[in-house]
Amino acid sequence: MIQKMISKDAISNLIKELQKEVKVFGPVKEEGGVLFKEIKDAKEICLDYSNSKIPPKNVLFPMIDILFSYEKEGKGVKIIENPPYEKTVILGIRPCDSMGFSLFKNFFSFGKYKDPNVLNRLKNITLIGMGCLEPRTSCFCTSVNGGPFNKESVDILITEFKDDYYLESSTDKGEALIKKIKSLTEADKGDLAKIEKLQKDIESAIPVIEGLDSIHTKLDGLFDHPMWKMESQGCLGCGTCTYLCPTCHCFDVLDENKQDGSGRRIRIWDTCQFPLFTLETSGHNPRTTKLPRVRQRIYHKFNYYPKNYNIIGCVGCGRCIINCPVNSDIRNIFTSVENISSKTEV
Amino acid sequence: MTDKSKEKSTKEWKPKIIAFLCNWCSYAGADLAGVSRIQYPPNIRVVRVPCTGRINPFFIIKSLTSGWDGILVSGCHPGDCHYISGNYVARRRFAILRDLMIFLGIEPERLNFTWVSAAEGERFAKVVRKTVENVKSVGPNKIFNKEW
Amino acid sequence: MVRKIIDDIEKSIREIAKKLLEEGKVDLIIGYTKGSIPLRSGPCFITDASQTDMLVWNQSCDLNLAKYLAKNDDRKIGIISKGCVGRAIVHLIVEKQLNKENITIIGIPCEGVLNRAKIMIEIGDKEITEANIEDNKIIIKGKDFDKTLPLQDSINQLCITCHYKIPPISDIIIGDKKPEKPPKDDFKDLNEIESKSSNDKMEYFKKELNRCIRCYACREACPMCYCTLCFVDQNKPVWFGKSADISDNFIFHMIRAFHVAGRCVSCGACSSVCPMGIDLNFITRKLEKIVKERFDFETGINLETPPPMGAYKFDDKQEFMMEED
Repeated sequence: MIQKMISKDAISNLIKELQKEVKVFGPVKEEGGVLFKEIKDAKEICLDYSNSKIPPKNVLFPMIDILFSYEKEGKGVKIIENPPYEKTVILGIRPCDSMGFSLFKNFFSFGKYKDPNVLNRLKNITLIGMGCLEPRTSCFCTSVNGGPFNKESVDILITEFKDDYYLESSTDKGEALIKKIKSLTEADKGDLAKIEKLQKDIESAIPVIEGLDSIHTKLDGLFDHPMWKMESQGCLGCGTCTYLCPTCHCFDVLDENKQDGSGRRIRIWDTCQFPLFTLETSGHNPRTTKLPRVRQRIYHKFNYYPKNYNIIGCVGCGRCIINCPVNSDIRNIFTSVENISSKTEV
Repeated sequence: MTDKSKEKSTKEWKPKIIAFLCNWCSYAGADLAGVSRIQYPPNIRVVRVPCTGRINPFFIIKSLTSGWDGILVSGCHPGDCHYISGNYVARRRFAILRDLMIFLGIEPERLNFTWVSAAEGERFAKVVRKTVENVKSVGPNKIFNKEW
Repeated sequence: MVRKIIDDIEKSIREIAKKLLEEGKVDLIIGYTKGSIPLRSGPCFITDASQTDMLVWNQSCDLNLAKYLAKNDDRKIGIISKGCVGRAIVHLIVEKQLNKENITIIGIPCEGVLNRAKIMIEIGDKEITEANIEDNKIIIKGKDFDKTLPLQDSINQLCITCHYKIPPISDIIIGDKKPEKPPKDDFKDLNEIESKSSNDKMEYFKKELNRCIRCYACREACPMCYCTLCFVDQNKPVWFGKSADISDNFIFHMIRAFHVAGRCVSCGACSSVCPMGIDLNFITRKLEKIVKERFDFETGINLETPPPMGAYKFDDKQEFMMEED
């Protein structure tokens, strides 16, 4: 593990140095909120932000992902493969969002068929995370095995301290990258101890949600419980919570064709909250109403994921809470589950 | 694909206009123009519909997204619709669609609506000439080009 | 609006809801309840008189509750209706989607709801930990800031031009204001956009719609979007693309606007629910203008007038017809 630092004013030097060899993606202030985009001009980056509107999963798993394209060639077609993915650094990703990347890796590499696009990108992406000095009141990363300075899923973690950024490597990849960057200076040893204490203080200040670590066993007996009626009454059935979730990865595959005979196959984001998601070719739809769909989202994240992969399918970023159009708060569901199971235990 | 598009842009642009003509009046009018050997620009492609009331606004929008430069919709004169009220219904739909499209930035010259009866061969030719003139004045349709 | 009036309305809502439930006149009350984060509220479904304290009324109540009324619901439902909600219900009855006998419209006078996207632009990207709406101002506090914004500037543009603050048709009216005939609307707020050239208009709308992620929150929040299969989801044939490309986004919003022409009540729910803060209000206002100027129609003000897309007149204006010479 290596620790170095750079002053906040000099961060554009770091970005320019990185840009000589790799593409740099980072948070950029836009009209709809902060979004992760490719940084062309180092000044564009906005590292003073709470969290982005759309999680950086769109770097790894874009909203429109071209699987392949084709064009007419004589009497047949010529398949055009994607260009090779350039080496990329995502600078300023929050630890919760990078946990989402780990979940993506898990999902797209599980089983017999490994997704080439996502796994290839993961191999070529280096994550420089930014710890959270001011977690939001809607954040609950510490209740789902995460934390505001969690280094597990990043290659390098940056902590802001006074007027500087302190960088700490977490993987070999991160260590190699830190060694290469010339703009960094040696970390002040006295500050390092203070930073560690700051990190611990901030982490322990985040309120922990009772019982969330054992929610998957509690959910086992609640599938047919009447509580889901109340929880799903207000839901509109839009895709906001799933599209803005750093762990949600469902997709639809479409073919698009042009008049001249060329075309492409693309993958777009899809969500279990749409009624058509589970519509089968026979016409049967196992989830016709809102109740099973709302329930499905909770079970997928907090029951099926832990059972199948031993990971909780939520990183506690709180985006679903802030952006839900009807203010349907997932924490209410946690409380209901906790109340119901503690009653039955007694 | 890139070679083909380069070729297209160097040639002089000829507008491509899709015309939705109602079977009983406007299509017959176009037929009459043909039989009478009246010359009119070759830029239109005709789609015959039983009545303008059958026209789903999707046809018009899909034409624009597919790259057609202009639309012409032509039906029976008010009061003469073979199905009594189809053209009135179409007139309302087209009015709202056109107002909305113009508000969102689609050039009004691309959307042309008219009444041509079965006896108006010469008028049909005039209508086509005017439509082609309108579309030529606004240039090729680049509104819905996808960045591929 | 004066704080006390809003608090009084809230009290009356709770009293009336309690009375209706206790007397068995309704089986269910649909209203608004306090949100779990500042400046938010959510829908509330109450079946028992003891729950009526959950009901609230304030300027964060931006949803159109008419969405929650289902077609074949036999229950007797009382619904807290600000002007646009009441109009939406009336229009749904005109379109034969709802049964008038089962619905009790509890009309309340609304002076507008907050435009959250605008407030967030003023505050920046910081989290709001506390917010209080007073007579003419909103006091917003965060971890390291304390800002006061004038209330009028933060109200949704559609509410400022709204002429139906109380539902024109309701079964119970709270407060002593009665619905009145509105003044003539000159749609001045659209002049700026309409004076731009075609290219500039298209650029403006493409810039706004570029950040659409196709979550369909706008479609789901709109009480008029009740199709079982939306046009974007049709696959026999596939009319328009589902991807989040700007050309597909533009088409989706244009056609959704066309489909609600003459049915839209300008409640602004589509803009309020958008997670990306896209301002769809201009499109809504334009639809209002089109049907008013062409057909002298306003949605949901009486049960007799047929909607403009479901009727025609022999002498409809046809100034847009092509001139041949």
